[in-house]
Amino acid sequence: MDVSQYLEIFLDETKEHLQSLNTEILNLEQDPENVDTINEIFRAAHSLKGMAGTMGYKRMQALTHDMENVFSEVRNGTIKVKGNMIDTLFKCLDALEEYLNTIQESGDEGTNDNAPLIKLLNEVLESKENDSENPGSEKAQDVSSDSANITKQCVQVRDIVFDDTQKHVLNEAIKQGKNVYDIAVRVQETCILKAARAFLVFKALEELGEIIISTPPVQDIEDERFDLDFNLIFISDSPLNKVVAAVKNVSEIDDVQASVVEKEKLAYKFEEGRETELLASSEQNGNMEATLADKPVYVAQNATGGTGKAAEKKTQVSKPVVNRTVRVDIEKLDVLMNLVSELIIAKNSLVSASGGDRGNSSGFNEQIEYLESVTTNLHESVMKVRMVPIESVVNKFPRMTRDLSKKLNKKMELYMSGEETELDRTVVDEIGDPLMHLLRNAADHGLELAQVRKEKGKPEVGSIFLDAYQDGNNVVIEVRDDGAGINTEEVKNKAVSKGIITADQGENMSEQEIVNLLFHAGFSTSEVVSDVSGRGVGLDVVKSKIEALSGEVEVKSKLGVGSTWTIRLPLTLAIIQALMVDVGGEKYAISLGSIQTIEDISPSEIKTVQNKEVIHLRGIVIPLIRLSGVLDIASKKGPEDNMTVVIVKKGSRLAGLVVDELMGQQEIVIKSLGRYITKCKIISGATILGDGEVALILDTNALF
Amino acid sequence: MEELKVGLENETTQFIVVRLGEEQYGINIKYVDNIVRMQHITRVPKVQEYLRGVINLRGEVIPVMSIRVKMDLELDEYTKSTRIIILKLEQQGNIGIIVDEVKEVVTLDSSQIEKVAYDSKEEKENFISAIGKYEDGGLISLLDLNAVVLDKENI
Repeated sequence: MDVSQYLEIFLDETKEHLQSLNTEILNLEQDPENVDTINEIFRAAHSLKGMAGTMGYKRMQALTHDMENVFSEVRNGTIKVKGNMIDTLFKCLDALEEYLNTIQESGDEGTNDNAPLIKLLNEVLESKENDSENPGSEKAQDVSSDSANITKQCVQVRDIVFDDTQKHVLNEAIKQGKNVYDIAVRVQETCILKAARAFLVFKALEELGEIIISTPPVQDIEDERFDLDFNLIFISDSPLNKVVAAVKNVSEIDDVQASVVEKEKLAYKFEEGRETELLASSEQNGNMEATLADKPVYVAQNATGGTGKAAEKKTQVSKPVVNRTVRVDIEKLDVLMNLVSELIIAKNSLVSASGGDRGNSSGFNEQIEYLESVTTNLHESVMKVRMVPIESVVNKFPRMTRDLSKKLNKKMELYMSGEETELDRTVVDEIGDPLMHLLRNAADHGLELAQVRKEKGKPEVGSIFLDAYQDGNNVVIEVRDDGAGINTEEVKNKAVSKGIITADQGENMSEQEIVNLLFHAGFSTSEVVSDVSGRGVGLDVVKSKIEALSGEVEVKSKLGVGSTWTIRLPLTLAIIQALMVDVGGEKYAISLGSIQTIEDISPSEIKTVQNKEVIHLRGIVIPLIRLSGVLDIASKKGPEDNMTVVIVKKGSRLAGLVVDELMGQQEIVIKSLGRYITKCKIISGATILGDGEVALILDTNALF
Repeated sequence: MEELKVGLENETTQFIVVRLGEEQYGINIKYVDNIVRMQHITRVPKVQEYLRGVINLRGEVIPVMSIRVKMDLELDEYTKSTRIIILKLEQQGNIGIIVDEVKEVVTLDSSQIEKVAYDSKEEKENFISAIGKYEDGGLISLLDLNAVVLDKENI
């Protein structure tokens, strides 16, 4: 089977499963008895195995298979969760990730068998014999409830496990001389209402006899949770051909395979019930085919390339709420986004064209307003499509913290909130590394050793907080620790010794300025270069990466109490609501998100503090920035005229921008100024107005 | 021998001949994406003087530079024949340059192109990579676009 076209899906989904395994195993470590957790782990491991098998990655499959065995025993309660077992499992996850990376790079899983890991897993497995007697009945029940797992889909006599009542019914039937049939039904691929067809098959058969077992279970079939095939064990007086004919009568049935189950075989099964079960499961373990077949839905999903369904099935089992998702290539979304942008530009030019003759065309204006609301809605929905929760990025951090804790020999706990906060997909993809850097920094440089913490009267276990929340048009992500804080003296000395600043400069710097030196390239204060952090490439990379996303990062720190790193990112990148202003005859756009209020100020209200112009507004002193000065252009207004001041905010700080005229609010499409113009820091981009003219967008953050 | 000569002669390059003041310059056509009429240029503050601003070219925002300012000639005077030549460069993306007039397209073969020896002291010369000789004896300076576009202040 050529599976290369499914590689993308495989990689994506494997990553998801690995992530959920990481998370759930962490949970398991905290709460070893939680049945839901164990089930979730089992499901994820099982899907992983099935997927690796389907794609032909034997080594990966072998490893997941052994992991699954362990999980299965945990689920059955025959192995207790222990620390070293969790460690082993994490190592396995790392190994799987390695496989995945190799696959991603070369399309092949590589040659590492990870034999030591498999041996470790087997040791864990063997430990169960010492732990407790294998309670047979419990296991039997468990396996039968999971019968779909061990039942082959193939059209042949299957090893099915019957429970007591079913055994009884079968026994009775055989005594009465009835026939036991094993029927495999295949619905046509084109069939739309599979459940309905299946129901008709059931109905047809029930007229002739009794259905004992169906795989998948009746409930699943009714909910259409099956692929094209389902199997039935059926008791009837009627001869085989009549039964087959009855099924075939139902339309849209592709194929019916039926065989008589031999009485001897059934009898054997009853006697050797448990052995058969074990046989069945061991067969599944050893046989690739069985693994493939035991996840029919998954295979089908791979075959059709639709991903939503598998996810659906997975969530249906775990949560009642189903997320219907479709994977879309981000480039397609970009195209869609660009089209929406063009539509908005076209709308804007219509608006400006209508401005001329307002009198005769109320209908025209109405239509334009309608168009406006449609484009706004369209834009919003496209935007939302591009938004993903940051969950996918931050989910790997608890595991990372655990590893860091062991590696650094520090006790720490990571508290996260706001994982559901949504950001543009492109931003989310990029934000992982900077966040990881900050967390590692917090763990390595921030938190003290347990001994030191104790002496300082802090709790031995250090806390790192990762909080994400939306703030206006921004998303804020905070990384906070209760560690030592930043020693500004040390930072200053370091900066001087590294030649970043001179000693004189150092004397005159404020604490905040010194702290900001940390973002300077080539700065690392850790005395010992560890493999966790301290290579001196961390923070400046963090800063440049976040600035590349039009975001900003700042740090606040208190010696001995801890540090807070705040990342502020724009919610949307492409289209914003802006206020258009006129400065000296030129048009500029100011993002509405950063505007606090707009004031009319008379020149007499201007005071000067330290040679800087400020205004006193409702109890707050706000510095004035004359845009005409910043933009090197002559203002159209005389010194005596009242001034229009746009009050903008950056974090908690305010500033008043003096403009000549307000031109109104407009939805603008942000265009880059290109790679060539890099010198202008106060302009964050450009936009095209309705009349085709280019207006520049002011980066108010750069004005502070 | 005859064939070899043909092969050599076929190695031709097309240049767009533009006028800047009294002089004629040639721009290798493979870098030219578009030629547009002079239009409103939106000034960008706080940038190098030769960067005149940005224009809207079918929904794309494109920076426009004055080759005259860059070469220390007098400031452009926009006339009816002023054009913006949109260059497509690998590194810098699309850039527009303002020229006084676009005259014609010429095809020069390698024998008609004479490399110039650099006098490293004279900065202006460095924008020119070679001299092209017309059939009728006219000369055009072939612009070294990378040098024209290169931003020394940023390095």
